[in-house]
Amino acid sequence: MLSIAARRSWRRHAAGYAFVGPALVVLAAFLVYPIGYSVWLSFHEWDGYTPRWGPFVGLENYRALAGDEVFWRATLNSVVFVAVRTPLEVGLGFLLALLLNRRLVARSLLRTLFFVPVVMSLIVVTIIFQRVFEPNTGLLNTFLRAVGLGAFTHPWLGDPATALPAVIAVSVWKNVGFSLVILLAGLQSLPQDVVEAARVDGANAWQLTLRVITPLMRPILALTALLSIIGGLKVFDLVFIMTRGGPTYSTEVLATMLYREAFELNHMGIASAVAVILVALVLSIARVQTFVLDESRAGGKA
Amino acid sequence: MSTVVASAAVARRQQRLGRGARAGRVGMWVVLLGALLLSVAPGLYMLCLSFMDNPQLFAGRLVPWPPHPENYPRAWVASNIGRLYWNSIYVSTASMVATVALSAMAGYGLGRIRFAGRGVVYGIVLIGLTIPLQIALIPLFMNLRTLGLLNTRLALIGPYTGFGLAFGTFIMKGFFEGLPRELEEAARLDGAGEFRIFARVMLPLTRPALATVAIFLFLQNWNEFLFALTFITEGRMRTLPTGIYALLSSEFYGNYPILAASLVLFSVPVLVLYFVFQQQFVEGITAGALKH
Repeated sequence: MLSIAARRSWRRHAAGYAFVGPALVVLAAFLVYPIGYSVWLSFHEWDGYTPRWGPFVGLENYRALAGDEVFWRATLNSVVFVAVRTPLEVGLGFLLALLLNRRLVARSLLRTLFFVPVVMSLIVVTIIFQRVFEPNTGLLNTFLRAVGLGAFTHPWLGDPATALPAVIAVSVWKNVGFSLVILLAGLQSLPQDVVEAARVDGANAWQLTLRVITPLMRPILALTALLSIIGGLKVFDLVFIMTRGGPTYSTEVLATMLYREAFELNHMGIASAVAVILVALVLSIARVQTFVLDESRAGGKA
Repeated sequence: MSTVVASAAVARRQQRLGRGARAGRVGMWVVLLGALLLSVAPGLYMLCLSFMDNPQLFAGRLVPWPPHPENYPRAWVASNIGRLYWNSIYVSTASMVATVALSAMAGYGLGRIRFAGRGVVYGIVLIGLTIPLQIALIPLFMNLRTLGLLNTRLALIGPYTGFGLAFGTFIMKGFFEGLPRELEEAARLDGAGEFRIFARVMLPLTRPALATVAIFLFLQNWNEFLFALTFITEGRMRTLPTGIYALLSSEFYGNYPILAASLVLFSVPVLVLYFVFQQQFVEGITAGALKH
């Protein structure tokens, strides 16, 4: 026989599951189960066609990756991609956010337009930029010729030396607005009394920005950077459509390698191992993110 | 005497500041307008290209004069874009509706009911928020193939719902948590059951959050490429991104203006949605980033 209190708490648990249940089923089917399946596949050798998942090979797929030049190239490219893109994205985003964080004509219009690249579909962006980088009649080379810098015209995407920088440039172009919006919201949430006090004490705009605002913004800057790193590690569409990882793997990243191994070479085991490594990387970065957030929350309470 | 000297010094300082401020103002506008130009130039370039013909394009022109508006009807037919629109609208809307409904319920459960295992469920949501969807690519492909669902709309609606759910639940949970306790208690005293409280009392209050989730997910689904590329291999069921991508390897590859016109047709609904609902959109992004 249940007491009234116990019955009530039982009811509460049941109600909780009734509300969460449907979502939980979908999350299990599309998130939890696929993660488990991928890990499982990464221990097997499978072409994707024989029934089941082929023979168990233990860590062989991971060992094969460790000895694979393309894998290291893709990893290095992913790291370079993130290492170059994130500082540019956050730095430019912060600069624009600082400029927009004051009374300004057309401020909201500017913010709206700066954000347009973020909303545009990557396929559209990529095809436009393929055209911009096109060697003969593309916008960039045409422009260089027009201003007398014809010596600098270049087959930007066709040369392994410039393909990755070109892809990174497009990525920065597309995502600066994202950082801008977060950082601007952050700036507007700063304690105004502190900023105002510094201004009354005679701090000029530079001092205010460097000594007062930037330190206050540090947690949000770190958070924006982490989001950019995570986004950068996941990058697929941009590289896949723009260069397909080429020329000669110069723009191959982990996500494009995964796709090629799985759906062009039918190496499901290897591809799953790449997926597991990618997820491990992203989740370890996200782990750092929660640390930063906890820290900023603790700082905010102090 | 000393006050006169002091005020002169202040005046001089203000003058210097004024000059500095003016230079700063000019510099600021140079940066802002430069950034503005960079933000909109590629889009305008695409728009210009879409009104050219091939000879104009290969001459390296920028201004499409005389214009060739006939590219648009040709693009419409060539890319079968009506079909692509329909597929994209269907898939994006269906998964958006499913996600909003499920995440409103889950957000309520997580945000307002203290049940056992709540932390674990929320943990799954947080993982879903950051995990790359590549992890699910091969497993979902295999399962969809086994179930005979490849090249159906369901092959996209299911995964889009699954991957949008984490974001939706996260936002809705945050919003439900912020609602006052009194309303709920008043309804409870009136004898309303849990579901009635949710549907009649609390849900109507979350309209702004629902709008944010809906707009954000619709655009995300509308632009999604990787799943659409992998799970839909036949032309009939393609959505806009992969339909346009297929054009790249078709006979129209050589005809860039037609391609550009297709890109414009593809982008217009997205941009209209964005300009109309930008408040919700920006809120979705900042909420996802800042309010963990």
